[in-house]
Amino acid sequence: MNSVLIIAAMAFTETVRDKILYSILVFALAMIGSSTILVTLSVGGEGRIVKNLGLACITLFGLFIAVFIGINLVSREIERRTIFSLLSKPVRRAEFLIGKFLGLGLTLAVNLGIMAAGLMVLAWALEGHWTPRILLAAGFTFVELLILTATAILFSTFSTPTLSAIYTLLVFVIGRLSADLMAFAAQFGGASLKAMTNGLYYLLPNLSRFNLSAAVANDLAVDPGTLALTVIYGALYVAAVLALAIAVFQRRDFR
Amino acid sequence: MNGSSGLPADRSVRTSPPRVTQVAFLAIGAAALAGAILTSRGIEARAVARPETPQPIFFPRAEILRPALLGFTSLAADLTWIRTVQYFGSRMEGQERFPQLYQFVDLATSLDPHFLDAYEYGGLFLVIAKQYPNAIAIYKKGIAANPSAWKLPHDLGRLYFLDLQDYQEALHWWQITDRLPGRPHYIPRFLIRLQARLGHVETAMELWQQMLEHSENEAIRDIARREIQKLRRQMQQKQSPDGIR
Repeated sequence: MNSVLIIAAMAFTETVRDKILYSILVFALAMIGSSTILVTLSVGGEGRIVKNLGLACITLFGLFIAVFIGINLVSREIERRTIFSLLSKPVRRAEFLIGKFLGLGLTLAVNLGIMAAGLMVLAWALEGHWTPRILLAAGFTFVELLILTATAILFSTFSTPTLSAIYTLLVFVIGRLSADLMAFAAQFGGASLKAMTNGLYYLLPNLSRFNLSAAVANDLAVDPGTLALTVIYGALYVAAVLALAIAVFQRRDFR
Repeated sequence: MNGSSGLPADRSVRTSPPRVTQVAFLAIGAAALAGAILTSRGIEARAVARPETPQPIFFPRAEILRPALLGFTSLAADLTWIRTVQYFGSRMEGQERFPQLYQFVDLATSLDPHFLDAYEYGGLFLVIAKQYPNAIAIYKKGIAANPSAWKLPHDLGRLYFLDLQDYQEALHWWQITDRLPGRPHYIPRFLIRLQARLGHVETAMELWQQMLEHSENEAIRDIARREIQKLRRQMQQKQSPDGIR
């Protein structure tokens, strides 16, 4: 356990030193701020425009951090051959991967926290009251990004960084589409298409469950039981993907 | 020579390029930039010279568009709404014809069925454009998707009362408004007047007055001011002997 935390702390320090992280963060904050320009073009809906654009920025820029830093966490260690010195110590491969995942998870939490705080202040300046549900929506985006981080780590255990990035982005697209695909197959497809989409639906993550932007923007009621189950679903999915990544990484030959 | 690399030993040759080369490159850069600016102005001049042609706008169905948006449907509804406001505003100052206004409002509200401002202001824009059946359709769509929002049956009642003078329908929608939480204080008063078939001009005046006082938007307040002036003139004409004649 101790070695997991040490590797997590090292991964966090390593990612925080990455200059690309700061450019993504500055760009995200600038994009969130730019929503005030869009607001001037509208009649009505000013508050929701800021919240919707801000939450979309948090998701997309968080995705960039998860994918482009996640794919390099393992492959960089292999490329630089520093993995040999790490694994020659009493560190299991599973501990190495879990530590890397937790380190990037912490980096994501800090970045999403900064972006969500920026958005909350902006929404407060516009509406004159606080919207704490922005933090709830950012929290669910965080769980969604943890699934994608675990996916990026899984792909990086057996593939090149470029291919891992493409695969992870495809998982994001399919994960956001899966509920629509299921509905589409139910409406138009035959029995075999329905069976295939059913299988894919349960195998791939349903990321649309973590999207609370419409509920926050329209101030709609959300069922606490469904929210709790969604978090459990996210945690179990992360555990499944990480377990698969560890299984692949155990058999990886570094020669 | 620098060892086996074959590079010159004098480091100054590598680190500081000759002044002439530097100046030459700066001049080339400045000339290219000037050329780009001139070309840009040429493109703009051609665009102005071309006669304006009406641009048909393609409206995809929301059900087809939704999967392509990857969950960012609420944001897409916002962007469609901003485009709706721009479409309405630009034509308000010009030809005052709005052939695609309903499609814009319908798309924004289909992408996010809980977008109350789009129903409220979209309905009002359609009323201003005198597209009453479309305005009724938008309000009814909003009421079906948001049955607890008092603003939509209230505004539909206002449309029947002020624009269509259908007091029976207005009574029906304001009775629905009266049962919803957060409804304005004047609704019971309106219901009494309508049931007694009295004071229609006073009710109309109060409706516009409420809009003038409570709307946060200057354009909407302008419309309310104009309507109040119109009603005042009507009331003066009724009271003056010339008006009777």
